[in-house]
Amino acid sequence: MPIAPKPSSALLIVGHGSTENPDSSTPYFEHADEIRSRGIFAEVHCCFWKEEPSMREAGYLVDSEEIYVVPDFISEGYFTQDVIPRELRLTGPTTVVGGKTYHYCLPVGVHRSMTGLILKRAREVAPGVDPAQTTLIITGHGTGLNQNSTKAIRDQVELIAASGAGYAAVLDAFMEEQPFIAGWDKMALTPNVIVVPFFISDGLHSYQDIPVLLGIENEVGAAASQREIFRHNPHHVRNKTLYYTSAIGTERLLADVILDQVSDFDRIHKLS
Amino acid sequence: MSIALQLRELLRSGIHRIGELEIQTDVYGYPYVICHHEDAERSTDSAFGGLEVHEGPADARDLSTYAPDGSYRFAKGQTNLKQGWVMALENEEDLRLALDQFYPAGVGLFLASRAGALETETLREKLDRQTGMYRFARTISDAGAQRLVREVCGPAHQCAKKILWRIAPETPLEDSEASRYNGIPGGLAESQAIPLLCREACNHFVAECRKAAKAENDARSEAT
Repeated sequence: MPIAPKPSSALLIVGHGSTENPDSSTPYFEHADEIRSRGIFAEVHCCFWKEEPSMREAGYLVDSEEIYVVPDFISEGYFTQDVIPRELRLTGPTTVVGGKTYHYCLPVGVHRSMTGLILKRAREVAPGVDPAQTTLIITGHGTGLNQNSTKAIRDQVELIAASGAGYAAVLDAFMEEQPFIAGWDKMALTPNVIVVPFFISDGLHSYQDIPVLLGIENEVGAAASQREIFRHNPHHVRNKTLYYTSAIGTERLLADVILDQVSDFDRIHKLS
Repeated sequence: MSIALQLRELLRSGIHRIGELEIQTDVYGYPYVICHHEDAERSTDSAFGGLEVHEGPADARDLSTYAPDGSYRFAKGQTNLKQGWVMALENEEDLRLALDQFYPAGVGLFLASRAGALETETLREKLDRQTGMYRFARTISDAGAQRLVREVCGPAHQCAKKILWRIAPETPLEDSEASRYNGIPGGLAESQAIPLLCREACNHFVAECRKAAKAENDARSEAT
C-alpha cells in the first residue's frame, strides 16, 4: 500500500559510511534521491557514523519538527540498537530531542518486503536460468559477536524457500562463520548458483572480499568506484555456473523498503 | 523560518560564499548559480564562460566526491574542490540541497551557531564513543592530540573548517594556525561568507588519533 504523504515530516536515513571511498554511502544517497523525488516528505536527509554529516549534526539539517529515522542497515544489532540511539539521543520508539520528535523505525534489512527484492535481483542476474537447476545463496558477514546479523539472512532464506520461487535450494552462507561462503560449490548440488550479497553497499566486503572467497577474483581488487566496468556474469568456476549480484542495498527499490518501515512504524505505534 | 528562507536572507545581507563555493544570484534568469570561487568571474561571461553547466542540485554529490587529482575527498571541508563547472538552481530549496551535498549541514550549523544553539563536543567525548578498532584512539595523550591538531587540521592541511571543540572541557586547543582559523577560505571578510564550522572532530582526525595513540603505546612499551 502506498505510504500517505507526510508534508510536515522529515525522513532521516542513517548509514554507516566510510572514510576510504564513496561506494559505501552511494546507495544511501540514491535511496534519499528516490524518496525525495516522490515528494512524500517535507525533506529527506542522510547522516552517517563514518561520514559527514554525522548523526550528531543531523539535527541541524532538519527543519521539520517530526523526524522518521530509518537505519539503512541489513540487520538489527550493535549499530541499530546501541550506536544510532546513543548518537541521536533516542530512548525509545518515539523521543523528543531538542524540541523535535524522532520516530525510530526498524532497519530495512529485517522487513519482510526484502524477500521480493532478493528474488528480483536473482531473476535479473540470471535471466532464463531454470530455478529447479539453481541454488540461491544469500550471503552476509556473520560474526560471533552478534547473532542478529545472521538472523536477518536466515529469516530471508526461510521466506524464500517457502515462497514457491522454485529454486532447488535456498541457503545462507557467511564470510566469518559457518557455513562459510568460501565453500559455496560444495554446498550447492545444482549446476547453477546465484549468490546475493546481503549488504547495503558494494563496499569492501561484497565487492572486494567475497569475490575472492567465491574464486572469481584471485586477489582483493579495486573498489567498485575505481573499476571501469562491473563484473560480467556468469562466471564459470569450480565446475559450476556462478551468478554474483551486486549488494542488495544498491537496488533502487530499497527506497520502498525504507517507506515500508515508516508505514510499519505508524501502524505499530498507531500514529496513522 | 526554514533553513532555506534563512539562507535567502543571508544572501540578501551580502553573504556570497561558503567554503570554496561562490553563490551568485540572478544569473541568466537563474535565481541562484554556484561555482568554485576561482571560476566566479568566468561564470558571468556569456554561456557561463564555457563552464560545464549542471541544472538542478542532482550532480552536487558527484562534483564534490573527487579532487582534481582523482583522490577521494574523505572530508567535505577539504580545500580541493574541482573547478570548471557551474550549477544553476531554480530556488533556495534546491540551493540548500546542493550546499548540503558540498558542505553537509554547513548552513544549518552556521544558523544554529548564530542563534547560540550549536552544541559542540570535546575530543574526549568523541573518542570515548568510538567502537571496534577505533576504540584505542581514546588512549591518545593531550599533548599528542594537541600536536595532531597542528599536523592534521587547518588550511595548511587542506581543511577549511573553523574548529569549535576542545580537547576536554578544561583543556582548550593550544594556539596555532589551525586553532585560529575562521572557516573562510580565500581571505574574504566574515560579513561575506558562511564559515565552515567543525563542532566535533571528524573521522579522519579520529583515525589519526588512533595511529598516534598506537605510536605512543609502542614508545611506552619500548621504554619499559
